[in-house]
Amino acid sequence: MKLDRDVYIAGVGETTFGKHTSDFDVLGRQAALQAMRDAHIEKPGVVQTAYVGNVQNGIVTGQMVFKDLGMCGDLPIINVESACSAGGMAVYCAVKDVSTGVADISIAVGTENHSLTRQAGTAFAGATGDIETMHGLVFTGKYAMRANRYMFETGATPEDLAAVTVKNRRHATHNPHAWFKGNISIEEVLASRMVAFPLTLQQCCGISDGAGAVVVCSKEMTKKLGIQKPVKVSGAVVFSGPYHNGPRDLTGDDITEMAAERIYEESGIGPEDVNIIELHDAFSIAEILYYECLGLCRKGEGVKFLRDGESTYGGKCVVSPRGGMLSYGHPVGASGAAQIASCVKQMRGECAGYQVEPIPAVAMTHVTGGGMSGTEHAACTMHMLTKAW
Amino acid sequence: MGDDKTEKKRGQKEKDKEPDITFYHPALFEVPQDGSPPFLKGYRCKQCGQLDFPKLSICPGCWGEEFEMVPLGRRGTLYAFAEVFLGQPGMTYPMTIGYVDLPENIRVFAQLDGVAAGFKCNDTVELTIGTIRMNRDGLPVTSYKFKKAAS
Repeated sequence: MKLDRDVYIAGVGETTFGKHTSDFDVLGRQAALQAMRDAHIEKPGVVQTAYVGNVQNGIVTGQMVFKDLGMCGDLPIINVESACSAGGMAVYCAVKDVSTGVADISIAVGTENHSLTRQAGTAFAGATGDIETMHGLVFTGKYAMRANRYMFETGATPEDLAAVTVKNRRHATHNPHAWFKGNISIEEVLASRMVAFPLTLQQCCGISDGAGAVVVCSKEMTKKLGIQKPVKVSGAVVFSGPYHNGPRDLTGDDITEMAAERIYEESGIGPEDVNIIELHDAFSIAEILYYECLGLCRKGEGVKFLRDGESTYGGKCVVSPRGGMLSYGHPVGASGAAQIASCVKQMRGECAGYQVEPIPAVAMTHVTGGGMSGTEHAACTMHMLTKAW
Repeated sequence: MGDDKTEKKRGQKEKDKEPDITFYHPALFEVPQDGSPPFLKGYRCKQCGQLDFPKLSICPGCWGEEFEMVPLGRRGTLYAFAEVFLGQPGMTYPMTIGYVDLPENIRVFAQLDGVAAGFKCNDTVELTIGTIRMNRDGLPVTSYKFKKAAS
């Protein structure tokens, strides 16, 4: 979007991710409180608008999050849903409020508890009632088809895909927020239960619970709050999935490519200038495809980019430094906001044990969302963040 | 006692309920009565000529509201496929699925008849019909599927 005035991130919060017995509202409140305290806000009445991303926990989820914080009343709380993009989209909405002057300070929360509500042993499907959903499509299957086509076209192997999980779990080793972490071998990844060939269980993001929150504000407000390390939002983009019914290249991803082109154009920052990225690594294959879609490497060279160590610590661009969705799991409404929270902490140098060095000055986040027949994804949300101190 | 009451209530509800569908949707495909092979139904916008499958409520190209039915080619190219071991509640797995590109430049998602090992990308496949899922009454729902084409 065109940012009419500069928008800064004043505070962020994230819960631990994994299986929680606390429901979405408790998790969301925890992340929101962390983010507000991080922004030096110690009481209700400061934040002017709120957006809450959630997908499967029912109605008036945002009001459930903010009620106990004494923030319901003159605070407009708007609930945001677009499958996996919901949390990122909530941040986009908050950024829009500050950019346009509707608010000087706004909060976005992404929160989700799947464990308490989802039927075990089932996979996520696309839009309810959609023709592909009715015929049995689930996301594991869709990404498996993309993986099979990618392997067919490039000669990539299941071992190549498994290496993404190995990398991201290693990144997460010392991250207290991540769920699955530490050393796992390619053989172990491949030997785990088959979910949708060639994707084994360890190549699919866990269905987890968690929340992330982001407080955004104007420049004046960062001064008023005394924010030492404000992170500038240099780009914020939301796309809806373009409809096309014909043959197309599924080793690419039209919506991600469009969103990437737009955010590079709007921010004036190219892929070569981005230090860290949290992207939609819901499945191992996804991360490889998105290296290419985001322009980190040329088409067909995603596996080489990974093998050459360009997407890990010390490489050209550290992808999934927090461990990504393959380590956090993917509470669908939460992930987009949590990615941004983690990137901000990296940029401030607050990630002891998993800090990217040199400390990143530019970070980018990317979440796609849902699916319908005739689209690759129903939504895509991206943010570009730059150091502003 | 309480249980009996619940049983009665449930029974009552079931009685009032319309039976669920067993044929996915007549607007999607035709199984001719004369025994000739089934085909998918494409819809061409009478105003701008855009061809869509499945039928949309309005033409996304020009908002035209009148369509002409076009039988789609029964053979296509398997763009990608996968074997899925875990999926939606109420469906049977493992399931082989794929995207099929038809000669009219239409891509269709469908279940494939047969195990994944029997397919490779770019295989020629042909339309067939079969059970895609069970309905709410526990009866099979028939819809279009693809199978490896007889050479």
